[in-house]
Amino acid sequence: MTVSSEQELMLTQRANHLVRQARLAAAVFTQYSQEKVDKIVRAMTAAAIENAGKLALMAHQETRMGVTEDKILKNLVASEFLYHQIKDKRSVGVTREFPDLNMVEVAEPMGVIFALAPVTNPTSTVIFKSICCAKTRNTVIFSAHLMAAESSNYAAKIMYEAALAAGAPKGFITWVDKSSRLRRTSELLMSHPEVDLIFATGGTQMVKAAYSSGKPALGVGPGNTPVYVHKSANVLSAAMDIIISKTFDNGTECPSEQTLVIDREVSEQLLNEFKRLGCHLCTQEEVEKVSDLIIDSRSGGINYKLVGQPANLIADQAGLNITQPIKMLLCPLNGELRHHKLAIEKLMPVLGYVIVDSVNEGINKALDINYAGGTGHTAGIFCEDDDVIERFSDAINAGRIIVNSPASIGGLGGVYNHLNTTLSFGCGTGGGNITTDNVGIKNLINFKRVPRRRNYVISFQTTKNIYINPGSIDHLKSLKCQSAFIITSRSASRRGHLAQVTERLPQDCHVDVFSDMGPEPDFAMIQRVVAAMRHSQPDTVIALGGGSVLDAAKIVRLFYDYPELKISEIAVNFLDFHHRMIEFPKDMKTQLVAIPTTSGTGSEVTPFAVLKDGHRKISLIDECLLPDVAIIDAHLTRSLPPDITGDTAFDALTHALEALVSTFSSDYTDGLALEALRLIFESLPETLKNPNNVLYRHKLHNAATLAGMAIGNASVGVNHALAHALGARFDIPHGRANGAFLLSTIEYNAQIPSKFVSIPCYPLWVADRKYARAAQFIGLTVEPIEGETEEAKGLRLVHKLRQAVYDLAKLAKQPLSIAELGIPLETYMAAIPELTEIAFSDMSIRTNPRYTLAPEVAQLFANAYTPRERP
Amino acid sequence: MAEPTKETRKLEKIRILGELERGLDDVDKVLATGKTDIELDFSACTFISVDGLEWLEEFLLRADSLKSSVKFVNVQSPVYKVFKVAHIDSLMRACGSPSQDAQGLVC
Ligand SMILES: [Fe+2]
Repeated sequence: MTVSSEQELMLTQRANHLVRQARLAAAVFTQYSQEKVDKIVRAMTAAAIENAGKLALMAHQETRMGVTEDKILKNLVASEFLYHQIKDKRSVGVTREFPDLNMVEVAEPMGVIFALAPVTNPTSTVIFKSICCAKTRNTVIFSAHLMAAESSNYAAKIMYEAALAAGAPKGFITWVDKSSRLRRTSELLMSHPEVDLIFATGGTQMVKAAYSSGKPALGVGPGNTPVYVHKSANVLSAAMDIIISKTFDNGTECPSEQTLVIDREVSEQLLNEFKRLGCHLCTQEEVEKVSDLIIDSRSGGINYKLVGQPANLIADQAGLNITQPIKMLLCPLNGELRHHKLAIEKLMPVLGYVIVDSVNEGINKALDINYAGGTGHTAGIFCEDDDVIERFSDAINAGRIIVNSPASIGGLGGVYNHLNTTLSFGCGTGGGNITTDNVGIKNLINFKRVPRRRNYVISFQTTKNIYINPGSIDHLKSLKCQSAFIITSRSASRRGHLAQVTERLPQDCHVDVFSDMGPEPDFAMIQRVVAAMRHSQPDTVIALGGGSVLDAAKIVRLFYDYPELKISEIAVNFLDFHHRMIEFPKDMKTQLVAIPTTSGTGSEVTPFAVLKDGHRKISLIDECLLPDVAIIDAHLTRSLPPDITGDTAFDALTHALEALVSTFSSDYTDGLALEALRLIFESLPETLKNPNNVLYRHKLHNAATLAGMAIGNASVGVNHALAHALGARFDIPHGRANGAFLLSTIEYNAQIPSKFVSIPCYPLWVADRKYARAAQFIGLTVEPIEGETEEAKGLRLVHKLRQAVYDLAKLAKQPLSIAELGIPLETYMAAIPELTEIAFSDMSIRTNPRYTLAPEVAQLFANAYTPRERP
Repeated sequence: MAEPTKETRKLEKIRILGELERGLDDVDKVLATGKTDIELDFSACTFISVDGLEWLEEFLLRADSLKSSVKFVNVQSPVYKVFKVAHIDSLMRACGSPSQDAQGLVC
């Protein structure tokens, strides 16, 4: 074995040993409670405070950088201030609760952290990271800068001993010993498979190495802080703050000021104040000398030997003839700022400045500095004008933009502001990092989100005033209305309904009529009616007719009240009503009175309106479409011919059946759907036998409205999706189209779904049981079979229900198949792909209790062709 | 073919009570008697320290060299999580997990 490979093996063993200690400690740490952790954090903080002076002195003696007194302050910020911020924070178990979202966050430690400590902050960084790791139950292996390893490692030792005495796991903090092989050991640790995170605070090289390791890494970026002194600033305070900040630890803090951008109006006052307080304003010649000294002419970068050195030392070495003590050197950066040698980060008490003539120029110059190697890090502004501060913050790319305070100590957080205390400045993507945070405990926890199932709000809405008995059309006599616009169809006027309405309206009410509403209006028709209404300026719209007339009137009223709406925008499909992207108006201005003359759609109580759009139908859905008044007067249905009575009754029947099993069904809609079903089975046969019997017409009329209330809240299902597609393609009346699929869809929905519907308000598939309940509710029974399961009995009841539907259809001469609708087989089969596509995208399908797959839709279409036998 | 003769071996069941902070002499003694299979019952073990972990690992090593089998039973989830995070393969095997050499602790 060669010497070097022997050495390498030794280093690997050393790295393995460190990681093993950290790994076991990390495992043991997972058991610690918040109380135990907080006790350790408290003990560590106390030890850091106690040793702040000693450690600062050691750091200064070892690195010969900065100012001991300032290093003491940094050690205290990293302990006392940090402690103040984190002491009451939860970092174990549930860390945060979001009651409104039904969610909590639970902390998971990150594990073994490999942490770097820079030469500029050798002890404060160790104090800070140790305490953060204890609070978050992570273990940490420190690797110090070679030039600061003794003080860094001593700080680590002090923190570890305090932690151990307070009960921390053995091996919770470890460190790489100072040696000429420190760098290599660090490399081995960085790529060690048992290290979970690299917490890299240090030079660009080390941060780069951390990111190249392929591990998650919290890095920092280089800084180059521009500070804008706006003319509104308190100039004297600004001067003192800048001196405090730039001379802090002799300028080693990376957020500290690098170049001032000063408004001309205050430049003289500011510079004079700097001079008065003991700063030296360099002449152009002196700026050259300073540049030559502190800038490495080959790299254009900083001369590292001068980092953290006092201003007088720099002045002396630059050959400036300054005898009195000075705090810092101020260098005017004349000429093109973007090319100026001193427009870079100068980690020493040398500060550049430029003078500007406007806010715009000021922000642009600040951007020049910001983008000269400091994006994402820090910027500062002295200004009393909030608009300027906002403009500055908007333009500058910096993780922390310090307002009216020293940028360096301000950046540390907790002293001058409420930023998180840190020694590690995230710079976001501008600095090649993942966060712009003042990195702290929240960046050292894996937050586990625990979302509870969301509480789904289901509500019930319907038309507010419903007049429900034969003769209730008389309500029109007392209708509050000055000007009414009646929308109706020719057949309604032919059947005398229009006259019944007009003669009941109050004497002083102005009345206009549009009686040309066709069976399937399109948007052009809606626009025509709206235009007509603009002339008469009604306060009330009265819709008199079947479902199409009522639907059209809802849309007419909407566009009359809100002409700026766009049909294409409000007809957007949605998956969930609660999340849909479109918004409808909240309040309607014009009263809408719906008077149905058929017993079918229930449109008088639903928030839906269907409009023909070529071969498709578009659905509008919103509460604002609900009529204000519905008049359910069965007298208006007495003259309805038997075929339309049957068609529309089958629409109502389908509504009741689909609302009952809908994923949005509730106890409210179930009650309505069941009673609607019962009324239909009772009254449709009687009505067909005796079309003039108002008692049964009344029951049937009410059934349609009850079923309407049910679908108005629970919506429909796959049967309607199929019927909409078929009806639009082959011009089949809606109720007939529904009937053609009814036997298939009951059977389909009563089977255990091939795919369940994923919707939070439907936690249990119960369609089979609900159909069985419907069968029982309408009086169907099955003979008990000994030993039969409830499920099997339920299926026999579903079978009975399908038989009852079949019998009712035969009685009402309603087709139960496509063939009976007179559509040729070939034409139909050829249309199935298109029908499937349309049905599959129909909103109705979304509330079906069985997740309807496209091939299943096609199968349902195909199966519906052949005439049915009795089930 | 003849059935291989099975040696009759003793099975010692030992409960670990409370916090496992260090090695347990009684358990070490049982192992030292040899030819013993040991079942460590963790149902009442409430905490495990780094020393406890190191002892368990070393105990398993000794048992292995003495051809004694050691099984951990009724490990409560906080302690089981410690075993998981520790990445020590022998501990996981004692819990009945298949060996996960590829993911084992590499140090
Ligand atoms: Fe319908």
